Amino acid sequence: MAVFEAQHLHKRFGDQVVLEEINLSFEAGQLSGIMGPNGAGKTTCFNVLTGRYKPNRGKVVFEGKDITGLSPEAVVRKGISRSFQIMNLFDDYTALDNVVVALPQVRKRGFDVLHALDGHSETQDRASEILRRVGLAGREGANAKAMSYGERRALEIGVALATEPRILFVDEPTAGLGTEATAQLADLIRELKRSTTIVMIEHDMRFLFGLADQISVIHWGQVIAQGTPEELRGNKWVQRSNLGGLA
Amino acid sequence: MSTPILKVNGLEKVYRMGLIERRETFRLEADFEIAEPKIVGVMGPNGSGKTTLFELITGSNQPTAGEVMCMGKNIHDVRYRERDRLAIHYHQSYQVRHFAKRKPAFMMQPAGSDYPMVHLFDEPQFNTQDGYIGFMLEFFQKLRSEGRLVFLCVHPNERFHLEILQEICEQFIFVRHGQLSHAPDFETLVTEEPVREYLGELLH
Repeated sequence: MAVFEAQHLHKRFGDQVVLEEINLSFEAGQLSGIMGPNGAGKTTCFNVLTGRYKPNRGKVVFEGKDITGLSPEAVVRKGISRSFQIMNLFDDYTALDNVVVALPQVRKRGFDVLHALDGHSETQDRASEILRRVGLAGREGANAKAMSYGERRALEIGVALATEPRILFVDEPTAGLGTEATAQLADLIRELKRSTTIVMIEHDMRFLFGLADQISVIHWGQVIAQGTPEELRGNKWVQRSNLGGLA
Repeated sequence: MSTPILKVNGLEKVYRMGLIERRETFRLEADFEIAEPKIVGVMGPNGSGKTTLFELITGSNQPTAGEVMCMGKNIHDVRYRERDRLAIHYHQSYQVRHFAKRKPAFMMQPAGSDYPMVHLFDEPQFNTQDGYIGFMLEFFQKLRSEGRLVFLCVHPNERFHLEILQEICEQFIFVRHGQLSHAPDFETLVTEEPVREYLGELLH
């Protein structure tokens, strides 16, 4: 069943059409991938799906409810979380604190981080558990800014998970990562996939084809192709490309 | 008979230079009709007028004479913001839309369509490494199967560019010095001497 749908999305910035007639449907429990060349409109599409931009036309539907035009905060409260291509972390805080402030019980109570850390071991336990899930066990006390790029990426996914999303949007997770860090991230995402519905924009086709259940190809602000990795690989021209040889 | 998707009537675009003696520097002439959904290949040397032709069809360039009828509407009479609902021009990865606005919207016609009927792809970036060619070609075919008209302008400099054109185009336009010649298929196209000259080595 589709948990999340975009229907006939159209987005303009002045004279420029950035998204044209976007139709997408993401199934529960699957990892749906979005790929496309630079400037194709992938991030704008994410911005519309997660409430940062309002579309000029069309609808965004989550669990049967129209969420078009809701603020990003309201979208998060509905259970939709997102990690960014450009990392959004509190650099001067520890890994644990970064996760703690994103927990729903802490956000509800307000932003008093120290208070949360002093008295509520329950929130700390929850945050540690999340850090363990994203492969950062033992790094609770490390300052975010002192972490490696790959660790920060994992931490950012941890922060997104802390909001207890029913669907997680991940924007170019491999951006800036080396081969080894990319492989670790693939393991992490494969693990998350077992419990969370994920939508991922990704440039690295090898990475995406290895993880996704469904892929949508965006170009010229439109969905130009859709299918499972196997279906997309079936195209003669894809066979002839570097992608053709991917296992 | 139903309205043709695109009708280009006695279209002329003339560029002149000089203040006193207005010397003609470039002239594009076009007169043709494409009634049915199709994928049309467009080729021609740089500066031959391909992009100007696309700009005239999408209404982003004003003709010196003649008219472009898209789904029975004169594109230059449609509101600027709505012209791309009829005909849309994609230059490489991006869409082109620079209108010199001359008339207020209320004096012009609505497009009457939500999604463009004519799609003009101006030298999309094809490379054999990343596999996107396959997805793009599928997209052109999808648009055509939905009853739309697709123009694909390619400046072939590799053998596979010709393969692409041969594979999906059902009709061809060759532009040279602002003059159009039409060919019903690839075989006919490559019998023409200027085309052979233009493609040169690629044909062998």
